[in-house]
Amino acid sequence: MNPGIDLQGSFIELLTSIGLPPGVAKAVWMPLPMLLMLVGATIGVLISVWLERKISAAAQQRIGPEYIGPLGVLAPVADGLKLLFKEDIVPGNADAALFTLGPILVVIPVFLSYLIVPFGQNLLISDLGIGVFLWISLSSIAPIGLLMAGYASNNKYSLLGGLRAAAQSISYEIPLALAVLAIAMMSNSLSTVDIVNQQSGLGILGWNVWRQPVGLILFWIAALAECERLPFDLPEAEEELVAGYQTEYAGMKFALFYLGSYVNLVLSALMVAILYLGGWDFPIPLNLIASWVGVSETNALFQVIAGAVGITMVLLKAYFFIFLAILLRWTVPRVRIDQLLDLGWKFLLPVGLVNLLLTAGLKLTFPIAFGG
Amino acid sequence: MLKFLSKIGDYTKETIQSARYIGQGLAVTFDHMRRRPVTVQYPYEKLIPSERFRGRIHFEFDKCISCEVCVRVCPINLPVVDWEFNKELKKKQLKHYSIDFGVCIFCANCVEYCPTNCLSVTEEYELSVYDRHELNFDNVAMGRLPYKVTEDPMVTPIREFAYLPEGTLSGHDLPEPAKRAGQLPQDIVKTLK
Repeated sequence: MNPGIDLQGSFIELLTSIGLPPGVAKAVWMPLPMLLMLVGATIGVLISVWLERKISAAAQQRIGPEYIGPLGVLAPVADGLKLLFKEDIVPGNADAALFTLGPILVVIPVFLSYLIVPFGQNLLISDLGIGVFLWISLSSIAPIGLLMAGYASNNKYSLLGGLRAAAQSISYEIPLALAVLAIAMMSNSLSTVDIVNQQSGLGILGWNVWRQPVGLILFWIAALAECERLPFDLPEAEEELVAGYQTEYAGMKFALFYLGSYVNLVLSALMVAILYLGGWDFPIPLNLIASWVGVSETNALFQVIAGAVGITMVLLKAYFFIFLAILLRWTVPRVRIDQLLDLGWKFLLPVGLVNLLLTAGLKLTFPIAFGG
Repeated sequence: MLKFLSKIGDYTKETIQSARYIGQGLAVTFDHMRRRPVTVQYPYEKLIPSERFRGRIHFEFDKCISCEVCVRVCPINLPVVDWEFNKELKKKQLKHYSIDFGVCIFCANCVEYCPTNCLSVTEEYELSVYDRHELNFDNVAMGRLPYKVTEDPMVTPIREFAYLPEGTLSGHDLPEPAKRAGQLPQDIVKTLK
């Protein structure tokens, strides 16, 4: 396997050649990808908010934002700026400390999970050994923040919303983890880079969708529930709970919740792309194209193009799933709380277990196709 | 065991069925995305009001005979008719006439019953003001005619659904001489003769 471009290595090499000690060079490098990822995630959120508004409008035969920038692309920026300038209100009888801590606890783990999202062989912040499970464990911190926000607001709607969010997150984490477990079993690793590498080589045919179709559906349903997207947006069901745990929030604290929910959606879509659609893998293997054209794989230009194609592929696949989530939002009505828990515990959990068992059996019988 | 298996079979069938329903729903929403927006981009586009539209009421001062029929037929006795009896002419002389359009329900009963046709309805519906007292129109204000949508160079007039040619669903991008569906009133009158 071709290692691809190594930005970190060449950057540190450049600094050490100037005369910096290697330790300092590494320290200079470290904040760069983190900052890039933070900015990238925020821009991803702005794009998905804009897409949400435009696609929602199209599904309802409207036009949507039109005059705020070309095609209304600046509408989410205007939303954010408005929230930034709004007064920061803490309700009189609320627990001020918990009230402030709630949104922070919701947002930070989501951003932290971007640590393991790869856009290429070396284009990620950190290739951790526990990889995907870091994401799953971090995503279970968010309900603590939601519960905290709901409890601290001193409002019955908020409390109910917080409790629902906690119940929903806990019950959908299990099918999510089971779906990921089946993937991890096939690729013999939890690292996201290893998972993608295991899928690459055969182009579109090698992707996990073909080996884990049930797992993909399972994962996507559970991920939608984790993100509190529309068929499962019970914690903030506006007809019953005003806005759930967000009821008492305004200004920047509300913006944090809003940002968190969209960052989480983008993250989930990215994870689907990585786990099931081969991450940065092009539908036709790039080295095959290189050999057709007659370019060496170590050619610098080819490497740069391959890297760019990889990033584009990840984003395309992720945004396809965001599009699907938005389309689902206008297609499927909200489920009741009992239907939600039924679906989680009585349908997704047994299906997830059977899927895991089947994967294990197939792995034993066909070790070539299912990662021996 | 067989019963258990058949139960599982039924459950699988139901699941597939519901998944197909969701798929159908997604197809419907997806199909909606390629349709033209039905929205009218007010204030750049405006619908042409129907010929039966009951908008702000127009008043012709000189035709009025101060009979106060409009006041009597009004559900809330809204028109204010200020007149004085002129002894020399032995006639009522109108001094002021006003209707508060903040209170009016635009039923046009006054228009219907006015014996001298001094009242009529216009197409005007843009009655937003900063102070509600500005909606209390006097006879001068009521004598003004509204600007027609079709003559406003800033506005693209859009025909209402009932005025579109047969089979057309949207008033946008109509071919120029598109005649409305069905017969026009004058055509019907001709056939009656």
